[in-house]
Amino acid sequence: MNIAVDIFLNSLVLGGVFLIVAIGLNIIYGLSRVMNLAHGSLYALGAYASVTLMWLGANFFVALVIAPFLVALIGLVIERTVIAPMRKRSIVYTLILTYGLMFLLDGLVRYFWGNEPRFVKLPLFLQDTVPILGTQYPVYRLATLVIIAATMAGLMLFLEKTKVGITLRAASTIPEMVSCLGINMKLVHIGAFVLGCGMAGIAGVVAGPLYSIDPVMGHEMLISSFVVIVIGGLGSLRGAVFAALLVGLVQTLAEFFITDLAMVIVYMLMAVILAFMPRGLLGEGRFE
Amino acid sequence: MKEGSNNMDKQPSAPVQISHKPMGPKIVALLIVVLCLAIFPFVVRNRFYVSLINQMLIYGLLAMSLDVLLGYTGLLSFMHNAYLGTGAYMMGLFLLHAAPSSLWLSLLVCVLGTLILALPVGWVQVRTGGLAFALLTLAFGMMFFTVAWKWYKVTGGDDGLMGVPHPNVSIFGLVLGNTGNPVVMYLLTLAVVFLCFILTWRIVHSPFGAVLEAIRENEERASFVGINVRKFKLLGWLLACGLAGVSGGLFILWRGYIGPTTMSAFAGAGVLMMVLLGGMGSLWGPFVGAGIFILMQDYISTMTEHWELFVGLVVILLVLFMPRGFVGLGDYVTRFRKG
Repeated sequence: MNIAVDIFLNSLVLGGVFLIVAIGLNIIYGLSRVMNLAHGSLYALGAYASVTLMWLGANFFVALVIAPFLVALIGLVIERTVIAPMRKRSIVYTLILTYGLMFLLDGLVRYFWGNEPRFVKLPLFLQDTVPILGTQYPVYRLATLVIIAATMAGLMLFLEKTKVGITLRAASTIPEMVSCLGINMKLVHIGAFVLGCGMAGIAGVVAGPLYSIDPVMGHEMLISSFVVIVIGGLGSLRGAVFAALLVGLVQTLAEFFITDLAMVIVYMLMAVILAFMPRGLLGEGRFE
Repeated sequence: MKEGSNNMDKQPSAPVQISHKPMGPKIVALLIVVLCLAIFPFVVRNRFYVSLINQMLIYGLLAMSLDVLLGYTGLLSFMHNAYLGTGAYMMGLFLLHAAPSSLWLSLLVCVLGTLILALPVGWVQVRTGGLAFALLTLAFGMMFFTVAWKWYKVTGGDDGLMGVPHPNVSIFGLVLGNTGNPVVMYLLTLAVVFLCFILTWRIVHSPFGAVLEAIRENEERASFVGINVRKFKLLGWLLACGLAGVSGGLFILWRGYIGPTTMSAFAGAGVLMMVLLGGMGSLWGPFVGAGIFILMQDYISTMTEHWELFVGLVVILLVLFMPRGFVGLGDYVTRFRKG
């Protein structure tokens, strides 16, 4: 029973982190048809930014607010310098370019922070455990769930209720029409990219204390978030929610029963789902 | 299925005919290059250079097989080096455990084994669109890597396969030499790569190749004409993976060792970079790209440990400023001459 509760909560945490990263990717793809393979590296940058901020004396919560903005800033620079010139060309080039960007960013991380894993020092009350349904569960993991839920709720409100959000959703469906209405699509593209990078930054800060912070942390996250968005349907936000929770659950279970080849099970799951639903669970490009 | 096979014969011969330029000069150029490469080890007796060119040829074959996917079918694969790894593991395991002295049989096993592994992956892959296809290759590549890395009992895990025996090269019972000898290995590589190149050239310039190019240009239209897009994509995928398997077999004979790092995502970026450097859609470009890449890797990795940073930067610059690669340079020159 205790173990079942543990597994369930762990799968929620893992799925939640996947969700934030994958939603960032989906926002960028849904709004500007760019698939950013450097997304995992931006996630890693978020974690490293929080390490450096806390080394400079910031509190964990301060880092949680500032680091995503730093990552978003890097995203802005990337968008202006290399992504924008690629919009008119085939998506193959964008993929290869962002693949190169991934190695560049990983190389920079190695250059500045070295190869050794880093650790984040949490405030004392987050290091505790609390009893839940007969098991002692770490407070930080619960706090993670709250942060993720708050982020998602914020994003939902932004997209559903604010004028900018509604414009963004319209831009994802009929870009030409929105452009005709006098909305600057260039700004939409920039905004989408920066927002997506910020999401990756949030996920990086949140995941830092959960898993180890090392230069390759972004690679596995990138692959996992691809699995999530491909299962959920490219560009489909609601699909990503289902898929993230599903992948989180399957991966946690697989890691519990067969430690070494757990990821293989996840890929198998993806292959099986795609074999029967090639467009993912909810279909492609439903930005809602 | 029916439409697909019927259309194979009826497939528009017009575009194929148009692309048939006079072949004479090309064949002569190819033969000269191959001859030069063949006498190279007898002129330059330094074993290091022989081995280096050997490596270039093996990776050239791998890059060429990726070009079949990328340049001709328009499918982007990030996991192509995984099939080099698969081929190498298959061949190594066969040589270690089944028949340590039969070269041709083990090469056959290596290609067939790679195809058998590539088939289910390809079957799932071709069901998805262009973008999802590329993302899936990343995931499947990671899966192959994980298996090679963690399945300790079979693959040797981190250590990889070591002490793979060197079989003799023999044709109809006539022993020509041992693959442990760098020069013999070099000539074997050259011969196999040459055969694969000719074969691929023929395939790519056949009606089948025209179908692949039609799919690259416009998938929807291709399906409207009655082409079974999935089937042809799968065939293209299998062709590319089989060739990558051959390069894997040569790799393990040349190196005598295979480890999981050869299958990593980083190595996959290297192969992509070779194709980009050389130029997509030309078959010979990737060989040039592989040559340049391996030379660079050789020099730069001795100078700095931040090789990763450098690869990333070069890939970005290539895509931004030289998307057609080395082959594209030739076009610039002709355009310049014509004014």
